[in-house]
Amino acid sequence: MDQLFDISLFNSTLRILTPILLAALGGAICARVGLFNVGLEGLVLVGAFSAILGNHLLGNVWLAVLFAVICVMLFSLLFAYVSINLRANVIVVGISLNFLAAGLTTFCLRAIFDVKGAYYDKNMQGLPRWDIPLIKDIPVLGGIVSGHSPLVYAAFAAAILMWVYLFKTVSGFRLRAAGENPVAAQSLGIPVRRIQYGAVLVSGALCGLAGAQLSLGQVTMFTEGMTAGRGFIALVATMLGQSNPLGVVASSLLFGLMDAFSIRLQGFALPAQFTQMLPYIMTLAAMFFFKDRSYLKDAQRANGSSR
Amino acid sequence: MTVLLEMQGITKKYGDFTANHDIHFDVRKGEIHALVGENGAGKTTMMRMLYGMEQPTAGRILVNGKEVHFHDPSQAIRHGIGMVHQHFMLFPSFTLAENIVIGGEPKKGAFFDRQSAADKVRELGERYGMPIDPWKKAGDCPLGIQQRTEILKVLYQGADVIILDEPTGVLTPGEVKELLAAIKGLAAQGKSFILITHKLHEVMEAADRITVLRDGVITGQMAANDTDEEQISRLMVGRELVQMSRAAREPGEKVLDIQAIKLAGGKGSKPLLDDVSLSVRRGEIVGIAGISGNGQSELLQVISGLRQPDRGTVELNGADVTGAPVRQIREQGLAHIPEDRYLWGASRDATVLDNGLMGHQQRFRKRGLIDRSSLRKVMNEWVQRFAIKTGSLDTQAQFLSGGNLQKLIAAREFAQQQPFLIAAEPTRGVDVGAMELIHGELLERCRGGDGILLVSSELTEILKLSDRILVMYEGRIAGELTAEQATEEQISLLMAGGKRQS
Amino acid sequence: MNVIKRTLLGMLQPVVAVLIGLIAGAVAILLIGDSVVDTYREMWNGAFGSFYFLTNTLTRATPIILTGLGVALAFRAGFFNMGATGQMVLGGLAAAITGLYMPGPGWLVMIMALLVGMVVGGLWSLFAGYMDARFGVNLLISTLLLNYIASLFAGYMVSFPLKDRTGSAAMSQTPMLEADVWLPKLFSGMSLHAGFILAVLAAVAIYIFIHHSVAGYEIRMLGNNPFFAAYGGVKRGRMMVVAMLTSGALAGLAGAGEVLGTQHRYLDGALTSADYGWSGIMATLLASSHPIGTAVAGILLAALQTGAMGVERNTNVPLEVASVIQATLTLFVSARFGYLFLKRRKERKNNGSAV
Repeated sequence: MDQLFDISLFNSTLRILTPILLAALGGAICARVGLFNVGLEGLVLVGAFSAILGNHLLGNVWLAVLFAVICVMLFSLLFAYVSINLRANVIVVGISLNFLAAGLTTFCLRAIFDVKGAYYDKNMQGLPRWDIPLIKDIPVLGGIVSGHSPLVYAAFAAAILMWVYLFKTVSGFRLRAAGENPVAAQSLGIPVRRIQYGAVLVSGALCGLAGAQLSLGQVTMFTEGMTAGRGFIALVATMLGQSNPLGVVASSLLFGLMDAFSIRLQGFALPAQFTQMLPYIMTLAAMFFFKDRSYLKDAQRANGSSR
Repeated sequence: MTVLLEMQGITKKYGDFTANHDIHFDVRKGEIHALVGENGAGKTTMMRMLYGMEQPTAGRILVNGKEVHFHDPSQAIRHGIGMVHQHFMLFPSFTLAENIVIGGEPKKGAFFDRQSAADKVRELGERYGMPIDPWKKAGDCPLGIQQRTEILKVLYQGADVIILDEPTGVLTPGEVKELLAAIKGLAAQGKSFILITHKLHEVMEAADRITVLRDGVITGQMAANDTDEEQISRLMVGRELVQMSRAAREPGEKVLDIQAIKLAGGKGSKPLLDDVSLSVRRGEIVGIAGISGNGQSELLQVISGLRQPDRGTVELNGADVTGAPVRQIREQGLAHIPEDRYLWGASRDATVLDNGLMGHQQRFRKRGLIDRSSLRKVMNEWVQRFAIKTGSLDTQAQFLSGGNLQKLIAAREFAQQQPFLIAAEPTRGVDVGAMELIHGELLERCRGGDGILLVSSELTEILKLSDRILVMYEGRIAGELTAEQATEEQISLLMAGGKRQS
Repeated sequence: MNVIKRTLLGMLQPVVAVLIGLIAGAVAILLIGDSVVDTYREMWNGAFGSFYFLTNTLTRATPIILTGLGVALAFRAGFFNMGATGQMVLGGLAAAITGLYMPGPGWLVMIMALLVGMVVGGLWSLFAGYMDARFGVNLLISTLLLNYIASLFAGYMVSFPLKDRTGSAAMSQTPMLEADVWLPKLFSGMSLHAGFILAVLAAVAIYIFIHHSVAGYEIRMLGNNPFFAAYGGVKRGRMMVVAMLTSGALAGLAGAGEVLGTQHRYLDGALTSADYGWSGIMATLLASSHPIGTAVAGILLAALQTGAMGVERNTNVPLEVASVIQATLTLFVSARFGYLFLKRRKERKNNGSAV
């Protein structure tokens, strides 16, 4: 591997960006109802673990994905309950949720599989790779687009669906209304809380898929803290994409490419630590293009007289 | 005429506090019924009950003769009651059509049929004589159009009774005229209005009947033809107001002098401040009148150092402080009662004590630490002098009522011992007693030789206190009048961008 | 509202949260099939059961308290500094390098190593503050990302340039420090070192700073309402420098203390795998950023962790049960159980003069 750019780089970009994209879409729908979901990292981690657990218990990779989705949705209800009903600070709840996810997964890893650090079963089936008829025979494009786990395609489909939902349907319109001005939405009889719950649940489902792609799509194992900050990168992707599903696709593509690039660089006799640093540095650099003055807006909302 | 809506013996209590007591009130088809009263008289509480945002402690509400119990606004909407809030409830990033049809969107399957929404809205606007462009974003529209949108929204929802809560506060005199004409037209078509306001000439111009509220109790109810402004204001206040003397004073040297201030707006928009020059002398009160949003806030931010002007100079107490940090400007001679007490003037989560310390940090610093016992002593004097009702100095500021918090802020700023004071909306939302107290204190300071810059959207306040009056319009000083020359009509004209006639 | 009621209400929060945390732990224990009472008894014994265990707990609490105090200060100013781990790692690495290569008498080297650790941790933290103040880079996320960068950088340093090549094992670590630069132990044969004294002193100092100094007042007002602070002449930029620098310096001190007092070298992953930085953040959240409360919460969390080690030694329950308990109680501590009560009071007061 002495070439920096080739077809397989873009192929692996698609594979790697999938968890980020799925989680970032989850972040986007939460942001659209006014909840800044810092807990994406934890949700994805729970998804990754429960996908492996589901596969172990049910012996079927599809049921395992479903199991992961359900588990993370249940877990995300906790986020919804504490931040919506108990009125806790959303950021604090998100951070604590990350702690809880880390704690629960390591605990369950010990309690259920009786291992520390990582669980690996060489007989376990991962997600299949789909070769798309016709497209796979097109040169270059086929090599990039074809031969991925179904969740890769699901991620892009989810992005398009979410875009249509948010901007074309009545229900999506009301969801955006609930996020933009909850007081006004409430006064119109729009059930703001119910919508917020719905958004958190969808976000949970997407993060469940993201986790499943991590633990069953890219590898077939679970390691402690295997999300390694991808949830936070997804959060930045959400912000850069301005919570628009198509924008989120664009920013996730950028981060996926960086990730793939950093893996590729490991073939170039650079210390692993530096190549691993690359995605974080690039994410940080990307934030320079997104001026964040949310603290002022938050403060205005919290202190303004029209409360 | 048929009675559409009736309140019978409504009482509302919050703990031991009675906000409304034994209210009898009704609205007939096609009438404009004005509800007037001072701030805190209980108008808002009454309307919140009608609109399902609060439930009465006792009494009945009847719609078309049948008793109803509203638990949230959507139920009131279904019974044909609509409300246009004082702070508009619009979604700035949505189009006007989207804002109007929300809750009853035209659909094609699950999809939102935006074209049909726009058509309906255009048609609705034309039918009621309030045309708007349905595709414009609400956030880009002037306040007059936003209000029109709010009214069209409640009409779209099928309201027969429309509550307008202080609808003219943010409008230019021209827009006010248009609005009053529009609601008269709608009333002629059979819609009913409850007009909440404290501006009496609007009441006299538009209303058919008038109900006056004071301290939660109805003090008068009459047809507009049978009464006059004086009678209403007596019923509102309950006594003759003390006439404060504004004895002629000899102003001293300039304490504030600003020259040719310019502050650019966003890309492609007009400048926020355009060539503003003014000065304040010791011993005079200079009033700045204007519809809010015409550059007053920005001007105050430039003077107090919260914003940097693009051009021009600010001279305070003999020193050039253009673009200096806030602290330096304050030390150079500025005290400042800010326009929004919750946003700028206080911290809700902090104690009364901590709120009182702001700006006095140097005075109560003892080897880097806060000298709390001295601070307490001083603040107890403020509490006495200004009759601030607070549990203790350790109560969180959020538990103070608006008027008491405003008195605390005023006391804090009066105590800064600086020769120049900005008083921005010093009595917004406070009761009559607090208002008189703050006004008295302002005049007192002025007699003592301080210069005061008073910014207020209440013309009566400006006229009562100012020695000179400047009118701001679209970021410029549109005109200057002396206290003797100034009349409400002249100022209104300047506020609306008209030329001054001499 | 009178003071007693408010204090009680303030205490209700953490107490309910701790209860929920213990219940979550009990559920986890039951799922494994062990006795809840026995397990919690073992946990208590493991944390406080003997003088040895007690000092062990306090040793573990030391870095948690220090990072927690730093985070508390930043939180009070309204800055979500999530970078304690990275600041601690770099502080520890810098202290190790100073300890290894600085000439001079042992005590001087030790003090310098602590100071250098603080400076490096502080600067790393300030870097995030600078990016926020100057370029509007979201501090919460930048500090999170900087954790990964710091840990990877430190990992590189001890895997290559600073790697200990004397030992037989292929561990990524620096050589051992000379014994005369170690932080002195407080009791012979026990792990507790002088860093704990520093942590307690820091808690008192930070308490006085936040609650009684003028600068602390300005930091609190900035965190409460940045508009009010700006109006009153508080400079956000300057306060950010103070808060982020101090915050990072305390995390750096925590790292330096671990290196000089416990590890006696910088060992890759030793500071991150024990999650001191995150525990510090949890302690802060538990105590709603009150410095003394943070110290107490730090000891509580350390006790949970050392107690869980006892649990693992003596029962079938794995020590990770501690993470479940701490995370649950952190999650619920920010919930406003008193919310309904407060809201009713507020509504009444507000409507007294409805605007």
